[in-house]
Amino acid sequence: MKRIYLHTLPLRIWHWVNALMVIILIITGSQLRISGIASLRPHDPALVVHKYAGWAMVVFYIFWFAYSLISKDLSRNYVIGRHDLKGIFKQAIFYLFLIFRGEQNPFRPSPDNKFNPLQKIAYGAIMFIFAPVLIITGLLYTDIAFLRKYMLLWNITGIVDAIHIIAAYVFSLFLVIHVYMATLGPTPLFHINAMIKGYEEEPDEDEGKPDCEVHSANPGSETGNQRA
Amino acid sequence: METPSEKGEILKQGVNPLSLNPLCSRRQVLKIGGISIIGLSALGPALVQGAAKPLIIMEQAMGIVIADPHKCVGCGRCELACTEFNDGKAAPTISRIKISRNLNFGPGGELILREGQGNWGNGLIVQDLCKQCPHPVPCANICPENAIVAAPVGNTRIIDLEKCTGCKVCLRACPWEMISFDPDSRKVTKCDLCKGKPKCVEACPAESLSYVPWIDLTDKIPPRSTTTARMLEDRAMACQECHMPGQQKNVKQGFGMLLGAAQGGRPLSAGKFGFKWIDLAGSIILPLGLAFVAVHAVLRKVTKK
Repeated sequence: MKRIYLHTLPLRIWHWVNALMVIILIITGSQLRISGIASLRPHDPALVVHKYAGWAMVVFYIFWFAYSLISKDLSRNYVIGRHDLKGIFKQAIFYLFLIFRGEQNPFRPSPDNKFNPLQKIAYGAIMFIFAPVLIITGLLYTDIAFLRKYMLLWNITGIVDAIHIIAAYVFSLFLVIHVYMATLGPTPLFHINAMIKGYEEEPDEDEGKPDCEVHSANPGSETGNQRA
Repeated sequence: METPSEKGEILKQGVNPLSLNPLCSRRQVLKIGGISIIGLSALGPALVQGAAKPLIIMEQAMGIVIADPHKCVGCGRCELACTEFNDGKAAPTISRIKISRNLNFGPGGELILREGQGNWGNGLIVQDLCKQCPHPVPCANICPENAIVAAPVGNTRIIDLEKCTGCKVCLRACPWEMISFDPDSRKVTKCDLCKGKPKCVEACPAESLSYVPWIDLTDKIPPRSTTTARMLEDRAMACQECHMPGQQKNVKQGFGMLLGAAQGGRPLSAGKFGFKWIDLAGSIILPLGLAFVAVHAVLRKVTKK
């Protein structure tokens, strides 16, 4: 059994703080949507919390972008190459069919290549399309003095709101699927533990079995590992 | 001036895109006429609605009176100067600037993350002034007579005394309780910055008050009371032209329609029922995603055994 250092500390902290903010934003945002912005007063807690959480998201996004760029995380993990395009179908077939047979994930993460092709597409879309769209449309709604005039003049408040809401629905859909797929590891908490500790514990190549079964079924190999 | 032949040319050009022939046949004339009659009759109610729509967007005010609580001695001369100039009498209860001891913890009690001018029940002297609120002007939004308008000069929010009926709805709408009711004139009073020369600023002996270009204090000073006034229905509808409406009502109405139809009675009229297409899309993709995840999880559990 070997341990791979997958997630660096700043990214882990960013991930969990960001997750908290996204949940707060979705809760307050749906409150705003259900009761209607027109019926709220400027001091409504949902509005205030949504605004501050939104500003926090801007800061987090800038941090994530700068950190990923400097640590070359962007160029390593988010660029979709020819190899990934080939792997899409394999990965999709695994998630749709082969996973039920208890087969192993065809993709093995490494620090230089953390995400499988489907992950690359999903995370890329979220981080480079939907998050910036949400942030920009959200910022337009913070009543920036010199933009306010043009927003009223061009009558684009409705369009901006529509884009914000569509992106928010996609974001919530992503959250649901992301949380579910995080539990698809060898054990339900496998990937979540990796996101907390930073290390992903990978079973040996020749075992060919998930991590959880190694302890119960093959105690011999475990002791062998300890000796080595 | 255009000669008759030129006019004919222009008319021809105008009609041309609608028909292939340069000259209209009788049938085409009837067709176009019929279409335009239908179009205009459909436009009629829309225009009428547009005309009745209340003006609720105001330009931002140019000036505001602000107070420095460190300098104020609580002498109350500003209140006197205010009512003397505006009402011709000494009546601090209807003054547009209100000086008081701060014994009020506000509607929500003490809250973290809220800062004011130290006006959260600390017993200091506080100076309450009209904030000349930006766009959702609470008092103007509520007023059923559209009597609170922006002044032609300086965009100060002023009361049109000819329209004001003294219904006191705006008293309930202002979060800072800055509007008062004058029992003598049966009208409400509100800070109008004394037409650009605030008398309270002139009267202040401690230089606590100053008249400055407008700054937004509405998100800095916490409200003093919960507003209990409710907005007029048609005006709330007008708000929805810019702000997307809440879906609570729409969903309720939709369920009401379904329920009415299920009980066999006459279904509720669709009326203003408008579940926006974005929410429709959201209400399809989100449950679809959840259902997919659930099916996947169940299948995994079943096949594991």
